[in-house]
Amino acid sequence: MPAFAFRAMASSCEVRLDGLDAHQAAQLAQLAIAEVRRIEQKYSRYRSDSVVARINAQAGAEAVECDAETLSLLDYAHALHQASGGLFDITSGVLRRAWDFGAGRLPDARRLDELRRLVGWERVERLGAHVRLPQVDMEIDFGGFGKEYAADRAAALLAAQGARHGYVNLGGDLRIIGPRADGRAWTIGIQDPRRPDRLAAGIDIGSGALATSGDYERFMEVDGKRYCHILDPKSGMPVSHWQSVSVLGPLAVAAGSCSTIAMLLQEDAIAYLDQAGVAYLAIDCTGQMYRRDL
Amino acid sequence: MTHPKHPTGAQAILAAALLLPGVAVQAENAPEHASMSVRYLDYRQSQPGLDLKVHAPALEVEVPLAAGAWSVAGTLTADDVSGASPRYHTAVSGASHMHDERKAGTLAATRYFERASVSVSAAYSTEHDYISRALGVTGSLSSPDNNTTWSFGVGGSDDRIDPVNHIVVGETRQSVNVMAGITQVLTPRDIGQLTLTATHGHGYFSDPYKLFDTRPRERNQYTLLARWNHHHEALGGTSRVSYRYYGDSFGVRAHTFGGEYVQPLASGWSVTPSARIYTQRAARFYFDPGADPDAFPDAVSSGAPGYASPDQRLSGFGAVTLGLKVARQLGPDWLVDLKVEHYRQRGSWRLFGDGSPGLAPLSASIVQLGLTRQW
Repeated sequence: MPAFAFRAMASSCEVRLDGLDAHQAAQLAQLAIAEVRRIEQKYSRYRSDSVVARINAQAGAEAVECDAETLSLLDYAHALHQASGGLFDITSGVLRRAWDFGAGRLPDARRLDELRRLVGWERVERLGAHVRLPQVDMEIDFGGFGKEYAADRAAALLAAQGARHGYVNLGGDLRIIGPRADGRAWTIGIQDPRRPDRLAAGIDIGSGALATSGDYERFMEVDGKRYCHILDPKSGMPVSHWQSVSVLGPLAVAAGSCSTIAMLLQEDAIAYLDQAGVAYLAIDCTGQMYRRDL
Repeated sequence: MTHPKHPTGAQAILAAALLLPGVAVQAENAPEHASMSVRYLDYRQSQPGLDLKVHAPALEVEVPLAAGAWSVAGTLTADDVSGASPRYHTAVSGASHMHDERKAGTLAATRYFERASVSVSAAYSTEHDYISRALGVTGSLSSPDNNTTWSFGVGGSDDRIDPVNHIVVGETRQSVNVMAGITQVLTPRDIGQLTLTATHGHGYFSDPYKLFDTRPRERNQYTLLARWNHHHEALGGTSRVSYRYYGDSFGVRAHTFGGEYVQPLASGWSVTPSARIYTQRAARFYFDPGADPDAFPDAVSSGAPGYASPDQRLSGFGAVTLGLKVARQLGPDWLVDLKVEHYRQRGSWRLFGDGSPGLAPLSASIVQLGLTRQW
């Protein structure tokens, strides 16, 4: 069965298509990969020519005019901020400047305090198609859902081009196009958060999406305590309750947002996920597993 | 920390996500002939210790790739070994490992001529544990009467692997592949197609992140695909048969025989019985992890001392799929269909030899009811 591996968004990615001959599959996969790369180029905060970099460069200065796609993503960011009581905040990336996971040192409290004052989606100004960050050094980034958005876009594109069986996997966030050509579901393993060579669980899915957030993407240990890259925008401190949260949903972007919000909610995550009505698998800091099937 | 109130949190997130452009399945370019279907799928799978039932209603929007069922087949990429057992995993969901230094780029260009096309593609990507470069050219050419289409392609790739676990350092892998195919209108009632692909690769083929995975440093792969569509004048039906052979120097040999027959009946009814048989010989160095994923491989009994892999795609097994579809056209625009398929897979069903004993038998039934509107 044709599978196309590529690297994008700093992750290992794969497009897998079943039920097509290899030539058709290769052509379709190229479309999907091009779509992922388009989104990466347009929104990467590492590229000075990206939309996000342009908005950030004008922080404290001019409003930047945005196109319809960017405005839709900003609308989505707004909805996430509302739905999470402010926990999911696309302006919180500045906190990373205080956390140097390579150095293995806790940040200076005063520096963290300064940076926390730069966080606040509610302060971002929107007028029509114009967006402005009100303070110098403020920044936004779509890192919290860009990969999932790209997986959804690429999968929808493949489906619209006639693909029926396959999935798009961008660094562990998957959107299924459809089950295998013979109707069987795909079996997807869930990464063991503490043992990179092991799987913690597996799930069979034939449609929808699966996304996982974890504390093992980037982290450091100081005095035996783990500090991961998922930061509470209010305290500026890493979350510590969950090793990983995987969520199933109809769209990768929604599943990914729910898993990130669950990480940020810490001990309140299970109540949130249960009430959300999604299937999930969460592994807490002691390694205990919580799950809900649908 | 604060306790946010989120009475409709997740629903609000999904509703907001659905407003994002292009994330839900939809036809983005209005096609000449499109169709929309509502399907209800009932899927039952059984395997010792693992039963699964799925009821899935689905809405599909279908956009045919091209008018006419045939397209030129070929491949630019190495053909993967199909035949996974759901006891093992085909992909891993996890938080990705982020790296701050990275470069990637692809370039592809296709030039279309009156009866020919040429496509050139190049790809490059690099990261701290991986560098990959690939280059490929494909072309197609049709005869003046359009009864014959030839296609051909060549490609190559060059990868460098430096896994973070330092199992190996500075490993590389190179491959070249060639493809040739012909599609021929044989008679007004017959179309045949033949495609051959060969790939030669050498270098590091093992999975550095898998325990006990040591594969040969050289791999040759061959694929032959033959298809024949025939229209039966007297019955008004169409048969489609296909055969695919796959072989590689790891010792995997696979045959796929497929056939279906579409018989239109009176009053807009049609029936389509179908059957597919798949059989695969295991790679010489495949070992069965069995029920215990920690089982230590017995490299000696695997028949190729020094080499070993538990990858299920390299196992030996056979599978049979039988299906029947009944459809009724209601007027020019509406189609109702009911499809029943049964799939069975066994290690012992391998044809022409023994399969892998450690694979759990699997069977699955699919019942699908669909309503399609065409326009």
